[in-house]
Amino acid sequence: MNYGPLVFLAAFAALAASWFGFVLTPHLQIGHLQQTNTVPSGVSYPVARSGLAQQGLQVYRANGCAYCHSQQVAQTGTLFDLVLTNPGTNQASTVAAIQSINPRLSQPEVLEIIGKVPVHLLTMVSKSTAEAAAKTVNATGANAVPWIVPIGPDIQRGWGSRRTVAEDFLFDYPVLPGSQRIGPDLSNVGVRQPDPGWHLRHLYAPASVVPGSTMPPYPFLFEKKKVGRVPSPSALPLSGIATVEDGYEVIPKPEALALAEYLVSLQAYAPLFNAPLSVALGKPTSPTETNSISISGGDKAPSDISMP
Amino acid sequence: MSSGMRATGTRDTVVAEPKASRAPVPVWLFFLLFVLLFWAMYEFDRRGGWFHSQVYTPYRSLAELQRYQPATGGISLERGKVVYETVCALCHNTDGSGKPNQAPPLSGADWVVGSPDRLIRIPLAGLTGPIEVKGQTWNLAMPAMGAALSDDDLAAVLTYMRSAWGNQAEAITPDQVAAVRAALAGRMQPYTAAELQAIP
Repeated sequence: MNYGPLVFLAAFAALAASWFGFVLTPHLQIGHLQQTNTVPSGVSYPVARSGLAQQGLQVYRANGCAYCHSQQVAQTGTLFDLVLTNPGTNQASTVAAIQSINPRLSQPEVLEIIGKVPVHLLTMVSKSTAEAAAKTVNATGANAVPWIVPIGPDIQRGWGSRRTVAEDFLFDYPVLPGSQRIGPDLSNVGVRQPDPGWHLRHLYAPASVVPGSTMPPYPFLFEKKKVGRVPSPSALPLSGIATVEDGYEVIPKPEALALAEYLVSLQAYAPLFNAPLSVALGKPTSPTETNSISISGGDKAPSDISMP
Repeated sequence: MSSGMRATGTRDTVVAEPKASRAPVPVWLFFLLFVLLFWAMYEFDRRGGWFHSQVYTPYRSLAELQRYQPATGGISLERGKVVYETVCALCHNTDGSGKPNQAPPLSGADWVVGSPDRLIRIPLAGLTGPIEVKGQTWNLAMPAMGAALSDDDLAAVLTYMRSAWGNQAEAITPDQVAAVRAALAGRMQPYTAAELQAIP
């Protein structure tokens, strides 16, 4: 019996099925994505990166940054905080209502916190608990709003305030979400480190700004040259283990400037319909700790990176 | 046709081609197939979001996602910034520093961080005549820029002014704006500084 047509059909079906699964379905699902609006403020999101940052994406790609850094924050669940935004005028009953929903607060404590709204009355509770508590407080004429708080290990590490969604990469080509996490996630590195100068020093000598960093240095993105009559204004202010001998200075090449600009532009924290969260009133919208958390040993690794 | 048949017959006798014999498929394979199918359907239902482009992992369906949207009606600084930059920033500058001969500064101005009742009246009815802001006297006219804004938007933008550029004053709620708007009851004349001073 001739099995040729059967083998052909089987191979065709296998390839067709994977084409449907890996090409057609994603295209139907997210191929039509457009710029959207943040919720509830209605600000356009995302905004295209600046030209320099778009060049930086190509430097990021060329140097294989995505082999060690991901750009995707995962979210495992959503909890709620209850935030008092207006204590109302009926102080006595508001205090009683707040104490009934959070018995750990004493009366003087409640009186103190309702004087400085917005204040968190409950943290990390379920949706139903927050809504029931909001009802109790609002019945006294005060105004308390349940706030959406995305949770998950990545968010706990300070890598983002919500999960990453397809819109975050809308204007990027190619999309480099990465899969390895030898270094920290970079979805929001522009929020943690908004200074391009920091990124330049970090690229030149990572361990000089993050002690114990295991990231390799990228000295070829910089030019080390003799100081002319006047020191260059764009020379890196180096210190610690990264200093160069007297009479020399380190100037970032255009690639380094582009990459730093791209890293600063990595800010994916806007509240969206498909990734809802409540933006804190009068507080920074995202984690702002100075040092990104390294999951690869961090302080255990010796700072043995030799400088050029 | 006949020559082809002969050729096949000849090859059969010369080379023994391997053949697939007919054997029954084991029952456990069907069983495994159904277990896998059931597991796949369960996972699809749990995480698939029915292939909706807006539904991501912690949320299981569009309906669930819609229940998790932030409560509206509250004051949003982000919204206030947008309103400020479209309505107010042309004269008062994006950083609230004002512009010479156009508008006085808002950052650090007592009129902004002081009494809410005075502040709300300025955008609702306008302001005219001499006014002292941060030790400097201005004599200009501000139209009722806020009269066309909704209570929510006006409260958001005033709250933004009171918390941006180093200003630190309590938020203004949409209810406060609505109360002042009702009290003005269609007043057409802009306020003067002296009139505002009379309001607590």
